[in-house]
Parts: sequence; structure tokens; C-alpha cells
Amino acid sequence: MRHFDYARPTSLAEAVRTLRSLGEGARPLGGGTDLLVQVKEGHLRPAALVSLAGIAELDGVGLAGDGSLRVGARATMQEVADHAAVRERFSALADGAAVVGSYQTRNAATIGGNVCNAAPSADTSPPLVALSARAQIAGVGGEREIAVEELWSGPGRTTLEPGEIVTAFVVPTPPPGSGSHYERHTPRKVMDIAVVGVSTQLTIDGGVVAAARIALGAVAPTVIRAVRAERSLIGRAVSGEVAAEAGRIAASEATPIDDVRGTVAFRRYLVEKMTSASVLRSAERALG
Amino acid sequence: MTTIERPRYRAVGEREPRLEGLHKVTGRSVYAADVQLPGMLHARLVLSPHPHARITALDTEAALGHPGVVAVVTADDLARAARDGSNPARGASNRADALFADREVVFAGQPVAAVLGESYAAAEEGAELVHVEYEMLPAVLDMEAAMEPDSPLARSPVSDIDHTEEDAHVTIDVRSEEAEGRATNIASHVSFERGDLDEGFARADFTVERSYRAALVHQGYIEPHATVAAYDAATGEVSVWTSTQGQFHVRDTLMRLFKLPETKLRVVGCELGGGFGGKMIQSATVATACALVAERPVKLVFTRREDLLAATPTPGSVVRLRSGITSEGDLTALEATVIYDAGAFPGAPAAVGSLLISSFYRWPNLRTDGYEVLTNHVSVGAIRAPGIHNITHALEQQIDAMARGVGLDPADVRLRNAARTGDLMASGKPFPSIGMAETIEAAAAHPIWTRRDAARARSTETTKVGVGLAVSGWLGGLQPASCELMLNSDGTLNAVVGVMDISGVNTSFAQIVAEELAIPVESVSVNTGDTRTAPYAGIAAGSKTTITMGRALREAAIDVREQMFAIAADQLEANPADMVLAEGEVQVAGSPDRALTFRRLAAITTGFGSLYTPIVGKGAISARVQAPGFTAQLAELEVDTVSGNITLTRWATVQDAGYAINPLSVEGQMEGGTGMGIGIGLSEEYLYDDEGHLRNAGLLDYRMPTAADTPDIDSVIVEVPSEEGPYGARGVGEPSITAGGAAIANAIHDALGVRVAEMPATPERVLRALGRLAD
Repeated sequence: MRHFDYARPTSLAEAVRTLRSLGEGARPLGGGTDLLVQVKEGHLRPAALVSLAGIAELDGVGLAGDGSLRVGARATMQEVADHAAVRERFSALADGAAVVGSYQTRNAATIGGNVCNAAPSADTSPPLVALSARAQIAGVGGEREIAVEELWSGPGRTTLEPGEIVTAFVVPTPPPGSGSHYERHTPRKVMDIAVVGVSTQLTIDGGVVAAARIALGAVAPTVIRAVRAERSLIGRAVSGEVAAEAGRIAASEATPIDDVRGTVAFRRYLVEKMTSASVLRSAERALG
Repeated sequence: MTTIERPRYRAVGEREPRLEGLHKVTGRSVYAADVQLPGMLHARLVLSPHPHARITALDTEAALGHPGVVAVVTADDLARAARDGSNPARGASNRADALFADREVVFAGQPVAAVLGESYAAAEEGAELVHVEYEMLPAVLDMEAAMEPDSPLARSPVSDIDHTEEDAHVTIDVRSEEAEGRATNIASHVSFERGDLDEGFARADFTVERSYRAALVHQGYIEPHATVAAYDAATGEVSVWTSTQGQFHVRDTLMRLFKLPETKLRVVGCELGGGFGGKMIQSATVATACALVAERPVKLVFTRREDLLAATPTPGSVVRLRSGITSEGDLTALEATVIYDAGAFPGAPAAVGSLLISSFYRWPNLRTDGYEVLTNHVSVGAIRAPGIHNITHALEQQIDAMARGVGLDPADVRLRNAARTGDLMASGKPFPSIGMAETIEAAAAHPIWTRRDAARARSTETTKVGVGLAVSGWLGGLQPASCELMLNSDGTLNAVVGVMDISGVNTSFAQIVAEELAIPVESVSVNTGDTRTAPYAGIAAGSKTTITMGRALREAAIDVREQMFAIAADQLEANPADMVLAEGEVQVAGSPDRALTFRRLAAITTGFGSLYTPIVGKGAISARVQAPGFTAQLAELEVDTVSGNITLTRWATVQDAGYAINPLSVEGQMEGGTGMGIGIGLSEEYLYDDEGHLRNAGLLDYRMPTAADTPDIDSVIVEVPSEEGPYGARGVGEPSITAGGAAIANAIHDALGVRVAEMPATPERVLRALGRLAD
């Protein structure tokens, strides 16, 4: 590993100032399960790492008075996966957090790190998109809030300005009759990374789909929504045929690449099959 | 399972937990990377980014100017390392000698230079500042295309080929012919012939012709290559702490490369974090060269990426088979072409792979051609039973397909045609005692096999269940071995061996000494000496450690016993022939009150004015007869026909251990090898891009199976005694890796009715075989 500078601010304001003053070469450090590996392997060469470990404002998972969920950026994958309300009402997010790495990884890895590394294969990103989450951002100029899908501009790239830190994700309460789900395809059962990840959220009202969100991971430069597939479900009763149709449309919306984890043909195939299965699963949860 | 009557002993044959196990699980074992010396430098490697190129310029100035960088060592500097000024890398024909690329790089990842820094970071930063200019040469990447006469050459011609890698694992009489002058990429070719192929195929009622591929795979040891080397300029002493399966092999190589007198050279084989055939010598040569040049201690620990890129994984292969069977189940003919991709240096097991694919079954007519082909992939080395998982994947699918073709039980066809003791191998040499048939019988009686119809009945529309059987084996190596055994003053014994304990052998050695001297296992300490304190021992490879060094320990214990009997007889005024051992004493037979304790024997052989010589036993053996081990493995699996994913649900590994000196340890070897076979069968694979760069040089995308991917393994030990192994023991380390990939492939066919002819059987390959994914 090459030399780099290290800072450990104790407040959000100090962290923002430190990152701002260190400029482009500085990276915030969460659990380090991804960042440090990339630094050790020479894929990333930050001039400085700014640890977020001392900033209590970034902690915690909890429900607000209006029933929305706030997940602090420093919440670990295991905290998210184990949280009763997340499991019950924001199931897709619990599904995603529960499959990251190993227990050791999940006890250290943070949701902020998972999302802000901007990997299209990140397991909590499709669920956050499917659940219409918003990212709260602190910066020198104050705070702002954006839809989580607006955070990414490409693989490994975010829209964050130097000095900006994601402090939390806020997920609105799903309407009654909603269910959500995330699943990924991996060659190994555990300790793997998504070849394709699919997350869906359906709201079913009077037996037909009133709202649908479908987010695809690892099949485009960023996590994307399959908007046409979402639309195909609206107003229809979920059946095997309806789900299969949504799968076929989603496959046509994906823009995957050939890489070491899978070919274009394999990824499109998986998007079709997995979207179809996920729609059925979310419908089951919505009605359950 | 059938219970086989075992000979009864007091210490051998018992389940003994490994003596060094507690140190390992509590983190107290000292590995090479743990060694710290005063003034030690850290070495980082500069690797070639290109698979084949000429080095036109190599500029180290910027690196040398970087703070903390002490030296840069390249091929040109090696003459300063060798004591006689010769350059070991010049024209090196084998990988061990080619420390750094010498003007030509022949695989992406080949070390070009090492940068020595006062800190790891300084060395790493310095390595990025070494400027190398390359002129591209055509890269040879496909082993079959490489065999064509008009193919570009993977490397400039060299002369002699070193066979140490191959010989470490197996002793066979055939030596392949080596192509003259190396004007071709075919490094060696071997052929076997018997009978008349045309006649054989004419007699067949059913023939199968198929081509199979197996991927290049890594041994997957947890600890990467690591060495700390020190040179004392004042005394000329060189000390090397290294991770190796053979410290004497490292010593001999360093002596030869750097012209070091062995009186000045000490190699300490540290606790080994896995080897599996891949830990012969890689880091020790480079670290020692660096220490000799810099005249400072040097530590070199490969990163995982470097270990995948630049160590010696084991070859991929193409196997083309045509074979015939009668409707009664008699095999009639085999025509085989076995091609191994050796990578950039020779070292692929073409001879043994071709011999064994021709010899496991009684083929009355056969023709086998085996080729070792040079390409610009990473150069290969051994793995457990090198080359055999490749040929087994092909041969055992072929046998399965033929048995199904004539409507016979695949286990019956195997048993009917399996080689027996005394059958001639394709080389013309007879098999020594083997238990192939007994191994197949045990597998055929296992519930996974007998109840396979019930398992298949669990299949649903999208989940298909199948059961597969595959059989294979390994001849094993032979090498002399020696040891010492000394009586301590408290009546216990210390043994000194020079062989590395990679599999719990020291525990088995303690059991053997305890057996022969009728004392508890706890009264024996087995110590691994270094190359200046231990008597000679071969490489811990080729499944030969217990069957060779175990015999030496048994001899040493008998030697100690005889010395004790002579002294005790003299003291007790009795005949040495009337002496017996009991509870740490030497007694006169029939008169237990006339006895000398071991403690007393130690006292009267070491005290001031003692009239007797200290009791030191010697064991030294030469090994003549191999003790081959066979395995039969049963895989039960579920295929998800939507995702292509495979879940192994049950597994049995049956293996002939000859006699299990420590059944716990034997089962450990069976389970470990099975796990590796599962990885090879399902997910492990070197993936290169079209230009010859490795795309998955990390353990995320080079996928070894986890515990969650591995089913419970039912280990069934069969015991058919070998001729020479102690108590009838056979080599057990290697056979277990051989059959897993083939058992999985046969189970997939059983589940789906289609064959996945390329290993590993990834989800994508399964879906393509099912026709669900267009090419």
C-alpha cells in the first residue's frame, strides 16, 4: 500500500471542512471494506482518507414520526439487515443488506459506503431506488436532498461535490398494500458480487397494481430504473404472464456489458427471469 | 457401510488431533511473512503488463531516486548475486531459474524487476517508477492453435528442460520426447499404443466421440508465497525462511543458482499456509538474489494478485476421446489426445496424464498422444495429482456416456473394466497393489448411489436432481527419506525430520514411534529441522511423505528399541532377544520385575562416566514400490434450470488409504481434496481477455467455493494394503482432488440429459448446454 494521509474529524462540520480543504484527492472512509481493498490493490490512490468513524450524526436506523425510515450513512449492513422495521416494511433493503459479503464484512461495511462507491452492482442501491429513497447531503454550503438515483454519474463516480458527504437516506413509508424485494444472481452462494441485481416494489390496490418501481443493478453504468417495465404493470392484476412480460421489457431496458462476471446475453437473460420472479415476490409480499 | 476388519495396533490407526493444530487455530504458528530481522528491506515486484514482448529499455533511475528505495534488482543484476559471477537467468529453460524476465517477457505478470525499500510503501512506490519499454511480440494464447507448424513461437528457443515439478509428484518410467531445438511450441509429446484400434472399434456396439476442456486453475493456498532471506557479508552465510513444500529442494536450487556452498546455506521451511503442489520455490529465489545483491535481509511476500498472476497455477487442457464398448459392457478401444497448456515454461504433466488416462481401465486397444504446449499464459506447476482432474473429467464422462449408451449401470461398467493389481499400465509396467475395484464397490454400495432414483424423483419443473459417479486415482511419488530419533533424559523421545508437515504427517510420525516403542503419543516430539540440522528429506509432495518418511521413522524406532534392548540385557544379565517393551520400560520377558525404565536407560547412557553410548536411532529408506491411491466420488446435486445455478446436496468420497494411520488426518485430506475438486468442477477458472491479460486476478472473481457451496462430505475409507507403506498405508493427499469435477459433470447429465463438456460448469455453461442462452 502506498502512503496516504489520514484524518479523523469528530463532527460533521469538521469532516466537511477537512474534505473540502484536502480537495479532489481525499476520500471519506466508512467501513473500509471496499475502499481499503481498492487502495491496497492500487485501483484507487487517494492522497488522504478522512475517517467518518468519529461522527455520531451519521449513525442510526429508525422510523420518523411520519413512518418514513431514516438510515444513517454509517449504519452497518448488519444493522440494516437486522432492523425489525426494515425487514417488515422495507423488505427489499433488508434483502440487499443481508447478502453483502460475509458477517465480518456486514459488521464493518456501511450503507453510505456501499451507495457512494457507486458500483452498479452494490446490493443496497437497487433496493433504495425501488423504495424511492432520497439521499441527504451535507456540504460547505449547507444541506441538500436528492433522489438516490441522482447520486451516481457512472461506475465509481458520484455527483457529490468536493467536501460533500451523504449523511443519511430517507425512505418514504410505502402505502398500504405494498411489498418489495431484492435478489441478485451470483455464482457462489455467499461472498460474491451481483452479476445482476433486481429490486422491485409494488403497491396493489383493489387487486391491481397501483404503483411499481423496478431497479436493475449491474446491467448499466449505474443502477437504473426499468421505467417501461414499471408502466406495463400499472392497472393490471399480477399474474405469471404479466410478470413475464415485465421481465421481457426490463431486459430490453438494460444496457449490460460483457465482463468477467457475465456476457451481455447472459445478463439480459437474467434480467428477464429475475425481474419476472421479483415482481411475483413483491406482489406476494404486498398481499401477505 | 461395510466394516472392513482392520489390523489392531495400540497407537497407529487411532484418531489423533493434529499436534500443531492448536498453534494454528490460536494464531501462534510462525509463517515466513512473520519473520522480522534487523535492517530488513521490503521487496516489491515490477510485473510485465504484456503477455509477450521484448524489453527494449529498462530505466531504474527514477525509482532509485525515490525516498526510501535502496536498490532495484533486474535480470542483469543477477550476476552480482551468484558467487561466481554467472547469471542464472540467462537462457533459463525452467520457471524456477528465470527469476526475472531476461530481455523477453513471456507472460503477463512475469516479474521484470524487484524494488527494495526501507518500507513496504517505499518499495511499492518505487516499483511504479521503474520505467520499462516493450516492443510487442505476437502472443500465443490458444493451445490447439499453438501446435500448428506455422504458429508464432511463445518464446525464444531454449535448451534443457527441468522436470523437478513433475518428478516431485509422481514417479513414472516414461519420459516424453522433447522436440528438437524448440522450433515449435510443443514442448513434449508422449504416446502409448496397444493392440489394434480399428479392430477394437469394429468390435464395439457403441462408440462415443467427444472433446472436453478444463480451465487453468490455481492451487488456492491461503498463504501466498513468502520468503525472508538474509546474507551476512562477513561470514558469507545465507539464511532463508520460506514457505515451501520442500526446504531441501529450495536449498539445492539456491545452491545451484547462486553457487553457494551448502555449509554456508541454511533454509528454514516455516509453517506452511497451504501448498497443494504450488509451493515449491518462487519467492525464495528472488528474495535470496535481492539479499545477496543488497547485502541486507529482504522480505518478499506476494500479494494475492501477484500470486494469481505470477506463481505457478496448474494447466488447462483439451482432451479429445473416441472410445467403444460392447453391449455386455466390455471396453474395446480408446483413442485419446491429451493437450495441456503449459504456459510460458515447460512443466505440464503430459506424460503422467496420458499414462493414467490409458491405464485406469483395461483397454485392449488404445492409442494415446499427449502434448505439452507452450503459450503466453502464466507458466504452470503442480497441484494435487497434477493433470489428473483434467483427464478424469474427460474419461469419466466418456465411461458414463458409454455405459448409458448400452443401457448398463455406470458403476458396473467401471468395476468390470477397472485395473487390478498386476495389470500392465500403458507404459508396460505392472500396477503394484491397487484397490480400484474395492473403491468402486464401496461407492456402488453407498446410499447416494443405491437410492439415486429417489433423489431424482425430487425434481420439479425448474429444479432437476441428478447423481453422478466418477473414479480416479494417482500413482504417487517415490523419494528416499531419513530421520533421527533420540531418547530424552525423562524417557520421552525427540524425532528430527526435514520434511515439511503440510498435512498432519508429524502427528502420524509420532503415532508410528509410539507404536513401535509402546509409549503414549504424547511421549514423542516430532521436530522439523532446517536444512542444516535435519537429515535429508524429499519434497512433501506426491502423496509420499507418510509412506516414505513414515517408514524411516519406523526404522528409527526399531533401531532405538534394539539399542535399548542391548543395553538393558547387559544391565539385567539377560539375552537381548528376551527383552520386551511395556509401559515405558524394557523388561525381561516373563519377569516384569526385571526391568529398566526409559528414564533409567537415558540416565545410564548420558551420565558422567557412563559406559554406554547415548541412544540415537537412525532411519533411512529408499522407496522402490509406489502405493497408488484410488478414489470414487458421488455427487448429488440440484440444477436450477432458470438461473443455471447448481447446488450440491450430498457428497461421498470413497478412497483407498491402504491403512489409515490417523483416520482423522486421512479424512481431512479426503475432504480438503474434495473441496478443491468441487471448486474446479463448479467455479474456479483463469479468465483471460483476447490479448492474454488475466481478467480475474483476485479472489472475488477467481471463485473458490465457500463452506456454503460445499456439501457435507461423507468420507469412506477403504483399506487395501500397499506393499511398502508403513502398516500398509498408501499416499492419501492427492487422489481426493481428481474425481470431483467429473462426478459433478456426470450428475449434471443425470439431472438434465445434456453434457457440460467444459469445466467448470458455470451457470452460463449450464444454460448454454440447455439451449436457453444463444451463443
